[in-house]
Amino acid sequence: MQEQLDKALEFANYRQSFAIKRKTLKEKIDAKLTYGFSGGIFKIDRSLLNFVEMLINRGRIENVVLLDINDNPIAIEKLESFRDEIFDRYFTATFEYLEEYQKIKKARSVETLLEV
Amino acid sequence: MSKGVILFAHNNRQIDYARMSILAAKLAIKNLQVPVSLVTDPSTMDWMKESGIDKIAADTFDKIIITQRPEDSNNVKNYFDGNNRTPATFTNGNRFSVWDQTPYDRTLMMDTDYLTLTNTLSSYWDADEDLLISSKYNDIQGKERIGYLDTHISETGIEMLWATTVMFTKNENTKIFFDLVEHIKTKYKMYSDVYRFNPLLFRNDIAFSIAKHILNGYQKVDEYSLPTIFSTADKDILVDADDGKLKFLVSQNNGENYVATSVADKDVHVMNKFSIMRNYDKLMELAQ
Repeated sequence: MQEQLDKALEFANYRQSFAIKRKTLKEKIDAKLTYGFSGGIFKIDRSLLNFVEMLINRGRIENVVLLDINDNPIAIEKLESFRDEIFDRYFTATFEYLEEYQKIKKARSVETLLEV
Repeated sequence: MSKGVILFAHNNRQIDYARMSILAAKLAIKNLQVPVSLVTDPSTMDWMKESGIDKIAADTFDKIIITQRPEDSNNVKNYFDGNNRTPATFTNGNRFSVWDQTPYDRTLMMDTDYLTLTNTLSSYWDADEDLLISSKYNDIQGKERIGYLDTHISETGIEMLWATTVMFTKNENTKIFFDLVEHIKTKYKMYSDVYRFNPLLFRNDIAFSIAKHILNGYQKVDEYSLPTIFSTADKDILVDADDGKLKFLVSQNNGENYVATSVADKDVHVMNKFSIMRNYDKLMELAQ
């Protein structure tokens, strides 16, 4: 019985360490997806990426106004450069997210989690 | 527009804030790529000379600004190192003077136990806001450990801002703000009656929160803020810093039930200052 309890407690420790690692990883990626531009602060997410791409597809590529995280209007002079930057940041961050998430998923003990 | 970081370091008999400030500065220089200046006092400066860190300080800091030590001898708090408690004076009563002291047009003021391990704060230099303060505390363990007094100045008070990181542009608007913080410090007891908080320990977090509340017309306003303050509590223990990773023992329950975890590539506020000092040399390697 004691052995079962010890194993359960050990697993609980692992789960707590895992939860902390997952939380800090997500926050790290969130920080990488925050982009300061032209006086505004943007959250790079699917909605922003889609909206910017849609504007470009419709030919609106210069002097466009976007609302930032506080709904403040921010003038974007060259929308294509802005698009390239946010796409680049998005893919870099999400790729890193995937890579590190897989590492913590594979780590099956507190000791290996610490090294991720 | 010049940009830079300002740190305040006033040693007490237990904590060598000056030494910690060199670490914080080295990390900020590496990751934010801006100069860092130090505000300190004559007795801390004397200690820096006596302990032989004055030369590295002179090499690290853009400017070392010597000011009068604040009269905070009654401001005593418990510093924890895991379960070990050490009472010591908490000399933090001159942060409002940063507006006068800073040599930069745009300044980031940080605590010396805030370890800048990323360039995240760089995104905010050009934000169209004169004054940015972090509006949220973010505990390493998650929401379970965050109490109401981590998010509000009292049980019935306004929301707490975290003066751990403050960014501002030096202009007339921010002058008004920092003058108001000084006024609140001077009348701290009176403001504790109005805002219903415990006045025994002066906290910049509270003074800054009240000043912002007053200047926002006694309202909560949606505005830019700095990123959440990702923190480890003083009962958590930094056990190692290796290969870019900080390894912590995180207390699940107020100094009990520790769980191990590691943090990499993320700015972190390490409240257990003793554990910073124990791992000082390894942490300095992260700044190389």
